[in-house]
Amino acid sequence: METQSYFPVPPGVAVEENFLSLDDILLTHERLPVRTECAFPRLGFLDKSTDTQDISEGTKMELPLWLSKALYERKRRVLSVELPKVYREGWRTVFNADPNVVDLHKMGPYYYSLGSQLLHFDSPENPDIAQTLLQTFIGRFRRTMDSSQNAYNEDTSALVQRLDSLEKVLFRSGQSGLNDFQSWEKGRAAQLTASTLVLNYRKRKLAEVQP
Amino acid sequence: MDPLEVEFLAEKETVKIIPNFSLDKIYLIGGDLGPFNPGLPVDVPVWLALNLKQRQKCRIVPPEWMDVDKLEETRDLERKEDTFTPAPSPYYMELTKLLLNHASDNIPKADEIRTLVKDIWDTRIAKLRLSADSFISQQEAHAQLDNLTLMEINTIRTFLLDSLNCMYKLRSNLQPASSKGQYADF
Repeated sequence: METQSYFPVPPGVAVEENFLSLDDILLTHERLPVRTECAFPRLGFLDKSTDTQDISEGTKMELPLWLSKALYERKRRVLSVELPKVYREGWRTVFNADPNVVDLHKMGPYYYSLGSQLLHFDSPENPDIAQTLLQTFIGRFRRTMDSSQNAYNEDTSALVQRLDSLEKVLFRSGQSGLNDFQSWEKGRAAQLTASTLVLNYRKRKLAEVQP
Repeated sequence: MDPLEVEFLAEKETVKIIPNFSLDKIYLIGGDLGPFNPGLPVDVPVWLALNLKQRQKCRIVPPEWMDVDKLEETRDLERKEDTFTPAPSPYYMELTKLLLNHASDNIPKADEIRTLVKDIWDTRIAKLRLSADSFISQQEAHAQLDNLTLMEINTIRTFLLDSLNCMYKLRSNLQPASSKGQYADF
């Protein structure tokens, strides 16, 4: 008895992103520090810090993920992508020590997805990044599970504020399982309710009738 | 799955009733029921038992496991063991709720039974979470969930499946893709 009229497309998470997922679309706007390996003539307007017409070789700037991914090629070196701070050695040690203390929402909020996308750019640290991503997820799993399965009928904003967007999706699915069960146990599930689609439909009809 | 669907499946379990009317055998697709004679116990599915009870045509005999002593035993065993012990009935949670809500006057010590079943449920759910966590942290590929009931699996299903999906994808990152450098999505 699903009352939702809209099912969000889940993010792709892995190296391939999901074309229709809103989360993945937002993810492609994350900025990455890059270094140009050849001159970009007449593209100076992209780099707000200089007034020159061209972007010269070796300029350090930030480009969104979608653009860096399109420009990056292994054979013809157009630009090299540097790792964002969160994925570098220093932070990786923090994540390996105790993933629970980190505020992934502030770090990310697409920590896992962006990390997976970074594997596109052949960096020697790729295996370490992938390993850290997995270990972080595993380390934080227990907390996500417990908080999503125990918080019934209370304000969850404090629980979710430190979660990555991926973990938030998990949190919500855990909550829906808990809420379904609780409403069944209280005998509320047996009451029939009108689908939200029907309710919205009626509302729209009324608005059309009125002059 | 919705808890209501699980409850619907549970209504197929049989329960003993003592009718106070007489009726010949009735022939249904699911099987023949009856004959009903006043005072003679007969096995019927829960849905029929509840229907007859609501019309005050029968008295429900609680199932054998729905007994304070037996449930206390199960609860203590469940707390002692690390693994799941066999549940009192594959639909213990649903049957307890249905029978206690509709026929609590036929069940002795209904309140105690309700508390005991809730205790058993809580212990088992805590165990389920614990095993799910160790399942994830050890990165196992399969798990055997003996003695779990449908309702218990149902409460954690979406969450566990979603997290396993995520973990699988993060794990597949570890293997370098064979077709790197060729982006199919452009």
